Order: sequence, then C-alpha cells, then structure tokens
Amino acid sequence: MRTTTAIVELTEAFEETFARLGHDADRDRSVVVTSWPSVPIEIIRAAGLRPVVARGSATPTPAGDPQLESDIFPSRLRHLVEAALSGRLSHVARIVVPRTSDTDYKCFLYLREFARTGVGQTMAPIVLFDLLQSGGPDVGAYNVARTRALVDELASASGAVPSDDTLRRAVTNANVARATARCLIALRRGVPRITGTEVFPLLGAFWQMPPEHYAPLAEQAANEIARRPPLAGPRVLLTGAPVDGSTLHAAIESHGAIVVAEVSPWGSGVAGNDVAADDDVIAALTNKYRAESIGARMSVAAMQGVTERGLDGIDAVVVSLPPEDSVFGWDYPVLREALAVRRIPHVCVRSDPYQPLTQLDHSQLEALVAAAARAQEARHG
Amino acid sequence: MADKQLDVTAAASAFQKQWFGDLRRRVFDDRQPYALVQADVPFELFDLVDIPAVSNQWWAATIAAKRQAPAFLDAMAADGLHEDLCRYCSLGYAATRYRDVQEPPWGGLPTPRLLCARLTCDCIHRVFSLWAAAFGAELFEIDHPGASHLPPNWWELGRHRWRELVEPHRLAFVVSTLERLVERLEAISGRRLDRDALRRRLELVNQQEEIFDAVRQLIATAPESPVRMTEQITNVMATQWVRGTDWALAHARSFHDEVKRRVDAGVAACPGERARLMWVGAGLWHDTEFYTAFESSHRATFVWSMYLAFGPDGYIRYGLDDPMAALASRTASFNEYLHNPPWASEWIVQQARAHRINGALVLRPGRMKPAGTGRLFIERALEEAGIPALAIEADVVDPRAWDPAAARAAVRSFLDTRVMS
Repeated sequence: MRTTTAIVELTEAFEETFARLGHDADRDRSVVVTSWPSVPIEIIRAAGLRPVVARGSATPTPAGDPQLESDIFPSRLRHLVEAALSGRLSHVARIVVPRTSDTDYKCFLYLREFARTGVGQTMAPIVLFDLLQSGGPDVGAYNVARTRALVDELASASGAVPSDDTLRRAVTNANVARATARCLIALRRGVPRITGTEVFPLLGAFWQMPPEHYAPLAEQAANEIARRPPLAGPRVLLTGAPVDGSTLHAAIESHGAIVVAEVSPWGSGVAGNDVAADDDVIAALTNKYRAESIGARMSVAAMQGVTERGLDGIDAVVVSLPPEDSVFGWDYPVLREALAVRRIPHVCVRSDPYQPLTQLDHSQLEALVAAAARAQEARHG
Repeated sequence: MADKQLDVTAAASAFQKQWFGDLRRRVFDDRQPYALVQADVPFELFDLVDIPAVSNQWWAATIAAKRQAPAFLDAMAADGLHEDLCRYCSLGYAATRYRDVQEPPWGGLPTPRLLCARLTCDCIHRVFSLWAAAFGAELFEIDHPGASHLPPNWWELGRHRWRELVEPHRLAFVVSTLERLVERLEAISGRRLDRDALRRRLELVNQQEEIFDAVRQLIATAPESPVRMTEQITNVMATQWVRGTDWALAHARSFHDEVKRRVDAGVAACPGERARLMWVGAGLWHDTEFYTAFESSHRATFVWSMYLAFGPDGYIRYGLDDPMAALASRTASFNEYLHNPPWASEWIVQQARAHRINGALVLRPGRMKPAGTGRLFIERALEEAGIPALAIEADVVDPRAWDPAAARAAVRSFLDTRVMS
C-alpha cells in the first residue's frame, strides 16, 4: 500500500507540477521554470529555489497560438509561452530557457519581446542559459562562465549565494536520486516488469521533485515493481525526437509491445552519470549537462552513442518524427542502416505525440509489433 | 526570366560562372584546396590565405534557379529524409549525395578540402556532418552563442559602436573560434594570415558597402525605383561572395554608376510605378519571375529585399584596430538581425519607411524553421506602421508544392484590396 502511494506521488509530481503553477503565488515565488531538463537542477536547489520543467500536453494554448508560428515550436514551448502570457508565471522567481535547441533560443527571444512590449500578463524575468553543446575547445570555458553567470542570477533571485559546500550537497543529493532512478531503469531492461507508460512518469519525476523526496519514493516504487511478474511482448526502444510524455508509449503498448527504453532525458536518459562533487563543482555540472543533455543540439555522434546503448536487448524500434521536427530526421538514414545490420525492425511515426495517432501510424505499429513478436519467438522460443 | 535592364547584371552573372569555372580548374587541374561554407561565415579569412570559398546558399539558389531541385529533393525523400526537413541548406548536400539522379549545374561541386558552418539552426550540424562525410572532407563548426542583450537600432550601432552590439563574452567566444579557424586555414593553405591585410580587406569591404549604401539611397529616394529587386540581388550577391576584392569594388562602382545614370535620366524599372513592394525573407530562387509579375498588371514593383540593404547595415565596421574582433562582431548576430525580435522587425519597418513601401510580402518558409521564426513579429510591426503585409507560403528552393498561379492571384488580390485600394 505504501509503495502504491509512492507510484502515485511520483506520477502526480511528473504530471501536475508544471500545470499547478499560477495557483499559489507564495509557493511560486521560489520556483525557477525551465523549458527543458538541461539546466542544472543542483544549482537551482543550491540557490534555495525549486526547479519546475515545462512539459507539453494535449490541452489547447489559446493565448500562445496567435503569437507563435505553427509547426515550429514543440508542445512544451507552446505551453511555456501559454503559461507566461496567461499570467501563470507572474510570480515565479525566474524563467530560465536553456540553449537546448534553436526553438528554445527563439522562445527566449519571444518571451523577452512579449515582456518588453507588454503582450500578455506580467511575467517573471527571463534568462537565457547559453550552454553550448558543440565540440570546439573554446566551448568548455564559455560554458563554465555561463554556468557561473547562472549561479549569480539565481542567487540574486533568491538572495542566497550558494557556497561550494551547498553546491556539493545539492550534487550529492541529486546523485542519490539518480541512483534510485537507475534502479527503476534496470527493472525495464532484460525481462521488463513495468510498462513504459507506467515507468516514464516515475523517471521523469526526478526533474520535478526535490531529490530527498524523490529518492525514497523511487526506491519504494522500485521495490514494488521488482516483485511484479515479468511482462511479455516485444521490447521496444523509442527514439527520434525526445518525448516528454508517455502518450506515445501508450499507443505502442496498446499493440502488445513493451517500451523498455527511450532516448529522452525524461526517461532512460534521466540519470546518466553521477556528477563529481570533489573538485570544481561548477565545472563538473557544466560538463555533465553539456555532454548528456539530450536534445536538438546534442551532436550526431553523441546521439548515435545514446541510441546504440539503448539497442541492447531490443526487438523493435519506433522513431518519432513529429511535424515540427527539423533535426532528428537527419539522423534517420544512419539509424536505419544500423538497425538493418542488427536485423531490428523499425517504423517512423510522424504524428504529434500529444494527439491521437493516425490510423496509418497505428497500422504500422501493429505490423511492427507482430514482426518483432515473431522474431522474438524465433529467438527465445 | 524577365529581361535584364542593367548592363552590369550580365557582367555579374558572367563573373559568377567564370569564377566557378576557375574554381573547378584550380581544384581539378592544380589540386588546390577550396572550402564549402555557409553564407554567414567570414569569407575574408578564406580568401586572404588563398582558399576560395563557395557559399552553400548560392549553390542551392543556383541549383533551384536551374530547375534541378525537384529531382534531388525526391531522391532525398526516397532515402528516408522526411519532407519537413529544411531544403535550403541541404539542397547542395542532396546534389552531392544523390548526384547519380542528374548532373548538378556546371559539372557540380568538386570535393572541398574543408566545410565550414555556423551552428545557427539545429539542423546545420546534421546537414554539414552528412555532407562532410559524403565528400570525405573535414568540417569546421562555429558555434552560435545566444544573445541576451539586444539594444535598439542595431543598424546604427553596428558601424561605429559594434562592441556595444555584441555582449563581451559572445564576442570573445567568436573571436577565439575564428582564431582557431585561421589556424586550420593556415595549415591547409600553408600561408599565414596577414593581420594588416585583414584590416585592409575590411576597409575595402567598408568601401564596397558604402557604395551599396549609396545605391540603396538612390533606390529609396528616386521618384520611381530605377532597378528591379532581382537585378539588385544578382549584382549585390555576386559582389558579396568576393567582397573587398578588386573585382568586387569595381563591380559595386559600376552597379552604382549605372543606377545613378538611370536615376539622373529618369529611367524607372517599372515606368508609371504605382506601388512599391518589399520582399521579406530569402529569395524565391525557383521562381524569380514572381518578382516582376505585377509590373504590367498593377505597376507594382519590388523595391526592397534584404540582400542590398543588409550589406551596408550588417557589414560596415569602422574602427578596425582589432580586425578580428570587428569581423566577429559582424558574424556573431546574423540571425538576430534578420529573423528575430526585436531586431528584425525594427529594421524591416525602418527600411520600409525609408523606401516608401506600400506593401510587404513576408516569406513564410515552412520547412526553414529558424527563418520561419520572427515572421509574426515582422508582420505585426509592419501592419502597426501602416504597411499592409501578406504572408507568402513557399519553400525558396523547392517548387514542388508551389502554385505560381495561386500565389500571383493572392498577391493581385492583396494589391487590389489592401495596397492600391
């Protein structure tokens, strides 16, 4: 009973945290809203603030739609703009937009301009976290300086300048939470004991909860799930444009497959490597988020590495390329060749992951799962 | 293709073809290196160490203008690259990767020694990585640090107070990246970059852009526009790709002088001009006749595009004691100038007023996602300034979904109901 509560609490934290902003001004004052989980949450927490990451959803965005060009901004950014223009972010401490993609950067410029010209409701100060992800030797020092600037900015927001010890404590706490997230991830691989639809929110809650709350809840959830019977069905990797919700998982799993991994910082990519808390904490955090933040600015090679690691024990792959995709489609021919070598069947899904899939997509998924099931049976009997 | 009205236009076109022929000869016969680059990288650095640079956008426009894009783009789609991916920056790649479907213009691009791109749009790293792999060539990337400080009237600040235009950390980052680029170019060419020569080249670039500024002023103030927008583009871009060279300056002067003679003689591109239009966005390379299609029916002529106007406003840098920093200050913010709020909309409105624009056609470029952003800000700013704006949905190199008749009908209706009513 206790562990069931853990699953409910984690799921609720994942689903509701961003949606709840704007309902309690006092609570919002300590919140830093970010557009993607690529802003070091350790720094936000060390500054005495609380990170909340914007997420997409199927709900309408009537305030944002007239201000945003169609088919360019992903759902999460449309909802961030919606929240800002409708006054739900009036009381938060800062809106920090990381340089995760060009559309994030454009969203930052748009929000600034809305604030400057008085479009929409009053919104909190908007900050760009310009963490570059390219490979040049100049990038490292630039990024560390940007991270230090973020520390200063957040300290000015909260009035609390984080000491090195405070930062180290935040790193240690987050590392503990990462360890429990890894336990959940382990229960998906090999012989999965939980569906992707159910586990994705449990992993994603990492970004929306204080680590000292997340870790015990995730541990309890993992203990319960470990006692569950194994799940049958072909094991699917979900890749392409990183998802921030589990709607696509549900669609895939409705055909009898189990999504056991996804290339997304909200799912399988949530934990990554621990941050070293010994030497220069700021540099360690900077390097961690530069190297591991999954998104449109992650290099081709790094993205291929993440995908390759996700292919172990996989029976089928679903590549999500939603209408606004301008990046991940370029990786597809190379991925297709890699899958052909491994004889792993795949399909590309072009639907908006927040809308019901088209009949064509469902037909393709059904055929994919059937083919993967036959191959799985041939391999394992 | 509409008749050319200026003698210099033919000279510009001939120069480009000759330049490309020379490039192929140098590469194939003399085995000299050349570079394939995005339009917004500093060409001056390449030229000064004797590495010719070919612009990806120029090459894509050339393929599109020769109506060769559909076959390459069909091949790209058949290879699994979905149709919503940007075609402007990738058409050149397609012409390399799928060159078996048809021979690209003028025999195609030889293998470059180096590819170089600024990482503005997210797809650039992908497209250029694939392209470099297809050629088996090296790729040099210039990352694009984001701007948080965008002071008003960038086109005024940029000339003398360019250090105020780019935040110090961004400027330092771009300078340091350009220094690394120079190291690579020197290693490839075996020639040292002469810093004094760079300063002199930037001074010549300033002179060239001052000439373009004078041409712009002639067009803005003449009773009727003396030169079609398409011919402005041909003359300006042929010059910009080799900016600051002897030929570039000579051609800029010839262009200016011919335009001035036409103004002095009262010669108009569209005699009896009744509506002055501006085109906001990249050129519609597969249908350049579009830009002259409303002259006979409405006496409406395209007067302005970014191609001429951006030269003086985007490139002039006075105070060249540190030429690399001046160059970096130009390079750092191209996208912000041209596409993003508040800079793009402020500039477009200022230009529209200066050119007495009656109506604006704003490209809605669909798949070119980054170029597609900022469009609503620009349209709103124009309308608020009393300048009617019409969005034109088009891909600048891909004609497959373009309906020329429907587009022309929409513009005629716009002219009838909003511009000339």
